[in-house]
Amino acid sequence: MIAAEGGAEVRRAHSPGSAGGLRVELGRRYRFAASHRLHNAKLSAAQNRELYGKCNNPHGHGHNYVLEVVVSGAVEAATGMIANLADLDAYVEKQVLNDYDHKSFNEDVATFRDVVPTTENVCMDIFARLKTFPLAKLERIRVEETGNNSFEYAGEHTEEIVS
Amino acid sequence: MVLLTRKIEFAASHRYDNPNLSPEENRRVFGKCNNPHGHGHNYTLEVTVAGEPDPVTGMVLDLKDLKELLEREVLQRMDHRNLNVEVPELAGKIPTCENIALVIWNLLEPKLGGGKLHRVRLYESADLFADCYRAAASNGHAPAAEEAR
Repeated sequence: MIAAEGGAEVRRAHSPGSAGGLRVELGRRYRFAASHRLHNAKLSAAQNRELYGKCNNPHGHGHNYVLEVVVSGAVEAATGMIANLADLDAYVEKQVLNDYDHKSFNEDVATFRDVVPTTENVCMDIFARLKTFPLAKLERIRVEETGNNSFEYAGEHTEEIVS
Repeated sequence: MVLLTRKIEFAASHRYDNPNLSPEENRRVFGKCNNPHGHGHNYTLEVTVAGEPDPVTGMVLDLKDLKELLEREVLQRMDHRNLNVEVPELAGKIPTCENIALVIWNLLEPKLGGGKLHRVRLYESADLFADCYRAAASNGHAPAAEEAR
Protein backbone atom coordinates (compact mmCIF):
# COMPACT_ATOMS: atom_id res chain seq x y z
CA MET A 1 0.00 0.00 0.00
CA ILE A 2 1.29 3.47 -0.68
CA ALA A 3 0.55 4.91 2.72
CA ALA A 4 -0.85 3.72 5.98
CA GLU A 5 -2.52 5.95 8.54
CA GLY A 6 -5.94 5.00 7.27
CA GLY A 7 -5.40 6.19 3.72
CA ALA A 8 -6.94 4.61 0.65
CA GLU A 9 -4.99 1.66 -0.64
CA VAL A 10 -3.72 2.04 -4.19
CA ARG A 11 -2.94 -0.99 -6.29
CA ARG A 12 0.71 -1.86 -6.07
CA ALA A 13 2.76 -1.60 -9.21
CA HIS A 14 6.47 -2.16 -8.99
CA SER A 15 9.00 0.03 -10.70
CA PRO A 16 10.97 -1.68 -13.44
CA GLY A 17 13.96 -0.02 -11.79
CA SER A 18 13.88 -2.54 -8.98
CA ALA A 19 14.01 -5.42 -11.43
CA GLY A 20 17.16 -6.60 -13.13
CA GLY A 21 18.58 -8.20 -10.02
CA LEU A 22 19.05 -4.94 -8.13
CA ARG A 23 18.21 -4.62 -4.49
CA VAL A 24 17.39 -1.39 -2.71
CA GLU A 25 17.49 -0.63 0.98
CA LEU A 26 16.27 2.46 2.80
CA GLY A 27 18.18 3.79 5.79
CA ARG A 28 16.83 6.25 8.32
CA ARG A 29 18.46 7.73 11.44
CA TYR A 30 16.74 8.61 14.70
CA ARG A 31 18.00 10.04 17.96
CA PHE A 32 17.13 9.39 21.57
CA ALA A 33 18.65 10.31 24.91
CA ALA A 34 18.56 7.82 27.76
CA SER A 35 20.35 6.92 30.96
CA HIS A 36 21.64 3.60 32.11
CA ARG A 37 23.78 1.87 34.68
CA LEU A 38 25.74 -1.25 33.84
CA HIS A 39 25.30 -3.51 36.83
CA ASN A 40 24.77 -7.24 37.15
CA ALA A 41 22.96 -8.14 40.37
CA LYS A 42 24.52 -11.61 40.33
CA LEU A 43 27.98 -10.13 40.81
CA SER A 44 29.42 -8.49 43.93
CA ALA A 45 29.77 -4.72 44.21
CA ALA A 46 33.53 -5.08 43.77
CA GLN A 47 33.13 -7.33 40.72
CA ASN A 48 30.68 -4.88 39.15
CA ARG A 49 33.08 -1.97 39.66
CA GLU A 50 35.92 -4.03 38.25
CA LEU A 51 33.90 -5.15 35.21
CA TYR A 52 31.97 -2.00 34.28
CA GLY A 53 34.21 0.75 35.67
CA LYS A 54 32.64 4.23 35.39
CA CYS A 55 29.54 2.69 33.82
CA ASN A 56 28.76 1.09 37.20
CA ASN A 57 28.30 4.48 38.89
CA PRO A 58 25.33 3.85 41.24
CA HIS A 59 23.38 6.88 40.04
CA GLY A 60 23.71 6.08 36.34
CA HIS A 61 24.73 8.23 33.42
CA GLY A 62 23.36 8.90 29.95
CA HIS A 63 24.08 9.13 26.24
CA ASN A 64 22.70 10.73 23.13
CA TYR A 65 22.08 7.61 21.09
CA VAL A 66 21.72 7.49 17.29
CA LEU A 67 19.62 4.68 15.86
CA GLU A 68 20.00 3.72 12.19
CA VAL A 69 17.23 1.53 10.79
CA VAL A 70 17.63 -0.20 7.40
CA VAL A 71 14.69 -1.79 5.58
CA SER A 72 14.44 -3.43 2.17
CA GLY A 73 11.67 -4.17 -0.28
CA ALA A 74 10.37 -3.49 -3.74
CA VAL A 75 10.29 0.14 -4.88
CA GLU A 76 6.66 0.89 -5.67
CA ALA A 77 6.09 2.62 -9.00
CA ALA A 78 3.25 4.74 -7.60
CA THR A 79 5.37 6.30 -4.87
CA GLY A 80 9.00 5.56 -5.77
CA MET A 81 9.37 4.30 -2.22
CA ILE A 82 10.18 1.08 -0.40
CA ALA A 83 8.11 2.36 2.50
CA ASN A 84 6.56 5.71 3.21
CA LEU A 85 8.85 7.53 5.63
CA ALA A 86 5.88 8.82 7.60
CA ASP A 87 4.87 5.20 8.27
CA LEU A 88 8.39 4.11 9.20
CA ASP A 89 8.87 7.15 11.45
CA ALA A 90 5.53 6.53 13.20
CA TYR A 91 6.38 2.86 13.75
CA VAL A 92 9.84 3.59 15.19
CA GLU A 93 8.34 6.26 17.41
CA LYS A 94 5.63 3.93 18.71
CA GLN A 95 7.80 0.84 19.09
CA VAL A 96 11.07 2.35 20.30
CA LEU A 97 11.31 6.10 20.85
CA ASN A 98 8.23 6.45 23.05
CA ASP A 99 9.67 3.85 25.43
CA TYR A 100 13.31 4.90 25.20
CA ASP A 101 13.64 8.66 24.78
CA HIS A 102 14.42 10.57 27.96
CA LYS A 103 14.07 7.42 30.02
CA SER A 104 16.23 5.30 32.29
CA PHE A 105 16.80 1.91 30.66
CA ASN A 106 17.19 0.25 34.06
CA GLU A 107 14.12 1.80 35.67
CA ASP A 108 11.71 2.52 32.82
CA VAL A 109 12.13 -0.15 30.13
CA ALA A 110 10.74 -3.56 31.10
CA THR A 111 13.25 -5.45 28.93
CA PHE A 112 16.09 -4.27 31.13
CA ARG A 113 14.70 -5.26 34.53
CA ASP A 114 16.88 -8.37 34.39
CA VAL A 115 19.11 -7.60 31.41
CA VAL A 116 22.15 -5.32 31.62
CA PRO A 117 21.46 -2.35 29.30
CA THR A 118 24.66 -2.51 27.30
CA THR A 119 24.26 -1.21 23.78
CA GLU A 120 24.61 -4.80 22.52
CA ASN A 121 21.48 -5.71 24.47
CA VAL A 122 19.77 -2.46 23.47
CA CYS A 123 20.40 -3.36 19.79
CA MET A 124 18.78 -6.76 20.20
CA ASP A 125 15.77 -5.25 21.97
CA ILE A 126 15.30 -2.62 19.24
CA PHE A 127 15.55 -5.26 16.51
CA ALA A 128 12.86 -7.34 18.22
CA ARG A 129 10.63 -4.24 18.51
CA LEU A 130 11.02 -3.30 14.82
CA LYS A 131 11.09 -6.64 13.00
CA THR A 132 7.28 -6.62 12.95
CA PHE A 133 7.20 -3.49 10.72
CA PRO A 134 4.48 -4.53 8.26
CA LEU A 135 5.43 -2.45 5.21
CA ALA A 136 9.02 -3.52 4.49
CA LYS A 137 11.57 -6.06 5.65
CA LEU A 138 13.80 -5.02 8.53
CA GLU A 139 17.37 -5.73 7.39
CA ARG A 140 19.48 -4.44 10.26
CA ILE A 141 19.88 -1.74 12.84
CA ARG A 142 22.90 0.16 14.09
CA VAL A 143 23.12 2.07 17.36
CA GLU A 144 25.76 4.68 18.12
CA GLU A 145 26.18 5.03 21.86
CA THR A 146 28.66 7.84 21.23
CA GLY A 147 30.38 9.03 18.09
CA ASN A 148 33.11 6.49 18.86
CA ASN A 149 31.09 3.36 19.71
CA SER A 150 28.55 1.73 17.46
CA PHE A 151 26.82 -1.64 17.43
CA GLU A 152 24.96 -3.49 14.66
CA TYR A 153 22.44 -6.27 14.74
CA ALA A 154 20.60 -8.04 11.93
CA GLY A 155 18.87 -10.82 13.82
CA GLU A 156 19.66 -14.20 12.40
CA HIS A 157 21.37 -12.53 9.43
CA THR A 158 24.05 -10.84 11.53
CA GLU A 159 26.53 -13.62 10.67
CA GLU A 160 25.94 -13.00 6.96
CA ILE A 161 27.05 -9.39 7.36
CA VAL A 162 30.33 -10.61 8.81
CA SER A 163 30.93 -13.39 6.28
CA MET B 1 39.05 -8.37 -2.61
CA VAL B 2 39.13 -4.72 -1.59
CA LEU B 3 36.27 -2.22 -1.47
CA LEU B 4 36.96 1.38 -2.39
CA THR B 5 34.52 4.23 -1.98
CA ARG B 6 34.41 7.64 -3.62
CA LYS B 7 32.11 10.36 -2.32
CA ILE B 8 30.64 13.31 -4.22
CA GLU B 9 28.02 15.90 -3.40
CA PHE B 10 25.42 17.59 -5.54
CA ALA B 11 22.50 19.93 -5.00
CA ALA B 12 19.19 19.41 -6.75
CA SER B 13 15.50 20.16 -6.45
CA HIS B 14 12.55 17.80 -6.72
CA ARG B 15 8.87 17.35 -6.06
CA TYR B 16 6.90 14.19 -5.29
CA ASP B 17 3.67 14.10 -7.26
CA ASN B 18 1.93 11.17 -8.92
CA PRO B 19 -0.36 12.40 -11.74
CA ASN B 20 -2.54 9.30 -11.31
CA LEU B 21 -3.52 10.42 -7.81
CA SER B 22 -5.79 13.31 -6.85
CA PRO B 23 -4.24 16.44 -5.30
CA GLU B 24 -5.62 15.35 -1.92
CA GLU B 25 -4.11 11.88 -2.24
CA ASN B 26 -0.78 13.34 -3.31
CA ARG B 27 -0.75 15.62 -0.28
CA ARG B 28 -1.64 12.74 2.03
CA VAL B 29 0.92 10.31 0.60
CA PHE B 30 3.81 12.71 0.04
CA GLY B 31 3.18 15.38 2.66
CA LYS B 32 5.56 18.33 2.48
CA CYS B 33 7.36 16.70 -0.46
CA ASN B 34 4.28 17.44 -2.59
CA ASN B 35 4.73 21.23 -2.28
CA PRO B 36 3.84 22.47 -5.81
CA HIS B 37 6.99 24.54 -6.24
CA GLY B 38 9.35 21.79 -5.12
CA HIS B 39 12.21 21.89 -2.66
CA GLY B 40 15.83 20.78 -2.69
CA HIS B 41 18.57 18.86 -0.95
CA ASN B 42 22.31 18.61 -0.75
CA TYR B 43 22.76 15.01 -1.80
CA THR B 44 25.82 12.97 -0.90
CA LEU B 45 26.63 10.00 -3.11
CA GLU B 46 28.98 7.20 -2.04
CA VAL B 47 30.01 4.80 -4.78
CA THR B 48 31.73 1.60 -3.66
CA VAL B 49 33.67 -0.57 -6.09
CA ALA B 50 34.95 -4.07 -5.31
CA GLY B 51 37.95 -5.73 -6.91
CA GLU B 52 41.47 -7.05 -6.63
CA PRO B 53 44.29 -4.50 -6.74
CA ASP B 54 46.15 -4.65 -10.05
CA PRO B 55 49.64 -6.11 -9.39
CA VAL B 56 51.32 -3.32 -11.36
CA THR B 57 49.38 -0.23 -10.22
CA GLY B 58 48.20 -1.45 -6.82
CA MET B 59 44.78 -0.06 -7.71
CA VAL B 60 41.33 -1.64 -8.08
CA LEU B 61 40.65 1.13 -10.56
CA ASP B 62 42.12 4.55 -11.15
CA LEU B 63 40.33 7.00 -8.84
CA LYS B 64 40.82 9.70 -11.45
CA ASP B 65 38.79 7.65 -13.95
CA LEU B 66 36.08 7.09 -11.33
CA LYS B 67 36.05 10.82 -10.52
CA GLU B 68 35.62 11.66 -14.21
CA LEU B 69 32.88 9.04 -14.61
CA LEU B 70 30.97 10.51 -11.64
CA GLU B 71 31.47 14.02 -13.00
CA ARG B 72 30.13 13.04 -16.42
CA GLU B 73 27.29 10.72 -15.47
CA VAL B 74 26.07 12.18 -12.19
CA LEU B 75 27.20 15.76 -11.64
CA GLN B 76 26.61 17.04 -15.16
CA ARG B 77 23.22 15.34 -15.16
CA MET B 78 21.97 16.18 -11.66
CA ASP B 79 23.99 18.93 -9.97
CA HIS B 80 22.00 22.16 -9.70
CA ARG B 81 19.16 20.61 -11.67
CA ASN B 82 15.49 19.97 -11.16
CA LEU B 83 15.27 16.17 -10.98
CA ASN B 84 11.64 16.08 -12.16
CA VAL B 85 12.13 17.99 -15.40
CA GLU B 86 15.82 17.94 -16.31
CA VAL B 87 16.86 14.31 -15.83
CA PRO B 88 15.38 12.11 -18.58
CA GLU B 89 16.21 8.88 -16.71
CA LEU B 90 13.81 9.96 -13.95
CA ALA B 91 10.98 10.94 -16.30
CA GLY B 92 7.73 9.37 -15.16
CA LYS B 93 9.25 8.29 -11.84
CA ILE B 94 8.92 9.86 -8.41
CA PRO B 95 12.44 11.21 -7.71
CA THR B 96 12.85 9.55 -4.32
CA CYS B 97 16.18 8.54 -2.85
CA GLU B 98 15.42 4.93 -3.87
CA ASN B 99 14.73 5.80 -7.53
CA ILE B 100 17.67 8.19 -7.85
CA ALA B 101 20.01 5.52 -6.43
CA LEU B 102 18.69 2.99 -8.96
CA VAL B 103 19.16 5.44 -11.85
CA ILE B 104 22.71 6.20 -10.72
CA TRP B 105 23.48 2.47 -10.45
CA ASN B 106 22.27 1.89 -14.00
CA LEU B 107 24.28 4.87 -15.30
CA LEU B 108 27.53 3.76 -13.64
CA GLU B 109 27.58 -0.03 -13.78
CA PRO B 110 28.09 -0.47 -17.55
CA LYS B 111 30.75 2.25 -17.74
CA LEU B 112 32.93 1.38 -14.77
CA GLY B 113 36.56 1.19 -15.89
CA GLY B 114 37.61 -1.55 -13.48
CA GLY B 115 36.37 -3.58 -10.55
CA LYS B 116 32.72 -4.34 -9.93
CA LEU B 117 30.11 -1.89 -8.69
CA HIS B 118 29.30 -3.06 -5.16
CA ARG B 119 27.12 -0.39 -3.61
CA VAL B 120 25.55 2.96 -4.45
CA ARG B 121 24.52 4.87 -1.33
CA LEU B 122 22.68 8.14 -1.80
CA TYR B 123 22.06 10.42 1.19
CA GLU B 124 19.23 12.90 0.79
CA SER B 125 20.11 14.26 4.24
CA ALA B 126 22.30 13.02 7.07
CA ASP B 127 19.32 11.05 8.39
CA LEU B 128 17.99 9.45 5.20
CA PHE B 129 19.69 7.29 2.59
CA ALA B 130 19.05 4.56 0.04
CA ASP B 131 21.47 1.73 -0.77
CA CYS B 132 21.48 -0.12 -4.09
CA TYR B 133 23.22 -3.48 -4.59
CA ARG B 134 23.26 -6.15 -7.23
CA ALA B 135 21.34 -8.91 -5.48
CA ALA B 136 24.16 -11.43 -5.63
CA ALA B 137 26.56 -9.03 -3.93
CA SER B 138 24.35 -8.23 -0.99
CA ASN B 139 25.42 -10.34 1.96
CA GLY B 140 23.31 -13.27 0.84
CA HIS B 141 19.94 -11.63 1.46
CA ALA B 142 17.04 -12.24 -0.87
CA PRO B 143 16.62 -9.84 -3.81
CA ALA B 144 14.15 -6.95 -3.59
CA ALA B 145 11.25 -9.15 -4.59
CA GLU B 146 7.59 -8.58 -3.97
CA GLU B 147 7.55 -11.20 -1.20
CA ALA B 148 9.94 -9.02 0.79
CA ARG B 149 6.95 -6.86 1.63
